[in-house]
Amino acid sequence: MNDSPASVPTIAPDTAPPMPPREGDGPAPVLVMEHVSYRYAKGGKLVVRDINREFQAGTVTAIVGPSGAGKTTVLSLLSGLTSPSEGRVVYRGEDLATLDRYRFRSHDIGVIFQSFNLLPALSVEENITLSMQASGKRFDRPRHEVVMGLLAKVRLSPDYAGERILHLSGGEQQRVAIARALSYDPGVILADEPTGNLDLGTQDDIMAIFRSLAHDEGKCVIIVTHSPQVAQRSDEVFELARPRRRAADHATGHAADQAIGHTTGRGTGVTQAMP
Amino acid sequence: MFIISNAWRSVMRNKGRNILIVVIVAIIAAAATIGLAIRNAAQTARDEGLAATGVTATIGVDRESMIGQARQRGGDETGDGQPDMDELRSAIAVDALTLDDYERYADAASVDVATYYTEQTALDGTDGLQPVSTTTDDTSSDAASGDGTDGDGDGTASDAPGGAGMDRGGMGGAAMPTGDFTVTGFSSDTAVANAANGTFTMSDGQVFGYGEDGVGDAIITAALAEFNGIEVGDTITLADPDDDAVTYELTVVGVYSNDSAQNVAASGPMGGTGMDPDNAVYTSTATLEALGLAGGSSDDDAAGDAQLTFTYVLGSADDYETFVADVEAAGLGDGYTVSSADVDQYESSLVPLDNLASFALTLLLIVLAVGAVALIVINLFNVRERKYEVGVLLAIGIRKVKVAAQFVVELLIVTMIGIALGVVGGAVASVPVADQLLARQIATQQSQTATMQARFGRDADMSDMPGGGDALAPDAGGAATDRSDDAGAQDDADTQDGAVSQGDAPQDAPSDAPNGVMAGFAQAAQYVDDIDATVDLAVVGRLVLIGLALTLVSALAGIVAIVRYEPLQILADRS
Repeated sequence: MNDSPASVPTIAPDTAPPMPPREGDGPAPVLVMEHVSYRYAKGGKLVVRDINREFQAGTVTAIVGPSGAGKTTVLSLLSGLTSPSEGRVVYRGEDLATLDRYRFRSHDIGVIFQSFNLLPALSVEENITLSMQASGKRFDRPRHEVVMGLLAKVRLSPDYAGERILHLSGGEQQRVAIARALSYDPGVILADEPTGNLDLGTQDDIMAIFRSLAHDEGKCVIIVTHSPQVAQRSDEVFELARPRRRAADHATGHAADQAIGHTTGRGTGVTQAMP
Repeated sequence: MFIISNAWRSVMRNKGRNILIVVIVAIIAAAATIGLAIRNAAQTARDEGLAATGVTATIGVDRESMIGQARQRGGDETGDGQPDMDELRSAIAVDALTLDDYERYADAASVDVATYYTEQTALDGTDGLQPVSTTTDDTSSDAASGDGTDGDGDGTASDAPGGAGMDRGGMGGAAMPTGDFTVTGFSSDTAVANAANGTFTMSDGQVFGYGEDGVGDAIITAALAEFNGIEVGDTITLADPDDDAVTYELTVVGVYSNDSAQNVAASGPMGGTGMDPDNAVYTSTATLEALGLAGGSSDDDAAGDAQLTFTYVLGSADDYETFVADVEAAGLGDGYTVSSADVDQYESSLVPLDNLASFALTLLLIVLAVGAVALIVINLFNVRERKYEVGVLLAIGIRKVKVAAQFVVELLIVTMIGIALGVVGGAVASVPVADQLLARQIATQQSQTATMQARFGRDADMSDMPGGGDALAPDAGGAATDRSDDAGAQDDADTQDGAVSQGDAPQDAPSDAPNGVMAGFAQAAQYVDDIDATVDLAVVGRLVLIGLALTLVSALAGIVAIVRYEPLQILADRS
């Protein structure tokens, strides 16, 4: 179950984000998937099988793969919404299963959901401050200023602060979702199909934001996408193979990292609760 | 803080739904307030009614239970299912309790108990003393002595205090001694003050004493005095109804007029002229003893069946309960019961109030049940509707406990506002609503009494009877036709006095009780017709507790839904 591969360097836990002191050659990974398999129910079909992968700070990683390859499952495993059936997800040297996953979600990782998951009854600013409050973090500036800074960062006009979510377009909601994910300054940004329904110009815009977050602020950015353009603009691509098919070594050169998924007949739609 | 501020903002955001909940809760709370206030008021009226006043009690024969027991025994023995009448008669012919018995029970009581007693016997007139009578057909000797013999037979068997006890009032027994005159011996002034014929005022002379000095003294009614031309100081001679040769002499030391004589006359015509209050001769028990008329005091059989009525005076209704227990512990047989006209009267005056209280309880329970169900349903829909919100909150890392707490706080805010509004509304409405409901209960109670009387075919006089209870009694015998109007008026007064209006009730009700009871059907008229259903802090406190309980119960549905929600589900709820 928890047999760590020797190739994964272990680092001291509780090091300061975003860049932990490193040993060996290369930055220590922020998130590591070690032999991760997942099935919804005990004895059920494997949705993903034996995934091994490291995610580095300061890079944008695209997770790609056909429908049914388990992209969303990987996303929910990485974001702590659920735990792997086998193997483990390690965050900064600690097994996510042993961490407080609520704290992890509210504190250490910013998730941008495909459907944004903003609260429609709340204004843009309220949505963002809700996450700030949930994180329990202290802010050196008044919350309103933080929100205004975030809106500027995602290139939204300050006028939007008081606007209801429902009055916003898809691209604008996407930016608000990003702003919310950034509001408590997490080390990891996880985005699910962030450019799904957006036009090309907006896609570029959003990608520019993600690249800047990784390259300028040293965050670990992970994007689940099926868009070739997004994959192209990412630093690394992690391709999830279709079930029952060996994944070929990918062009980006992470030969050791491969993922083999098992078919489930459905790739998204996580409907069943896990313990 | 985060929870509360979030909850508050959420409440403010969903005004429409929350106003709906506030309205529902307010209605529930108002109904519950009224129900609680009525119950409270009824309880208070009940507790305070007899708490601080004297209660009189008597010990009587429970013939019903005796017959029941005898029947059981007889059935066992004969086996043919046919009641053995001799057995039955002997079973119920228990000895009336003697004075010594009564006093023994008084001593057995662990609470303070005062006692007084009266002894009543029937005597015939003589030539010098004729009873006041409206009938020309004087029953003086023949009829009376015939009746007397009959009465004798019955009387020794079981009439004496037994009949009295069963009729609650003590002296309205079915078979009173029959004769031209009823001679009553009193043991004390208290006994005189509680005379069966009601209160009276001396118009001449004074009341006899109870010691040796007063032996032979008696007082008579003004009507009797006038009828026979007797004055204070004269001597009257009464004859034994069984034997005219045996006479008794009494000295008239005073002449009195009854204050409320008419009220007592119900059974007068039925019992002969002796039952007419005008033909009542009052004396002391010492006098009766001296004349050999006291019950059980002499072997002399002559009119020796004086009817003993022993009354215990107790400090309060609670003392009465204690007394009943003490007396039973002291060995009062199964055939006897302790009863209190005051308590019974008070109990019956509380019938509408009790009905109201039980109605209020029903209302309360229904309202709370409906309220709880409504709140649970609303809350379930609420959580379903907000499942997405729950998912988002859990997905961004807010703990389930906090989300659930926020929902509970939201519901609490809304229900507390509703309860506050409902309590205010209920407090405003409770007094008039309670009065209205009580009035309706009394009307129902009275119309039931009226229906009962209508069966007797005499409802002509009902129009001027506010109580509606007395129409039958004065007319029943045909001899006292002139009394119906007066009786009506009297009842009018009684109704007002008897009404327990917090303050004056305790004093009035018990003192009126014997009169009311003596009037036979009349007691129905005296109902507690006023309660103070104001909402006090206790009611508000109880409501808040009920509200909290309801909120938590109904919030449980939401809490369960939240706890069972898996954050992963948010990915499915991505519509």
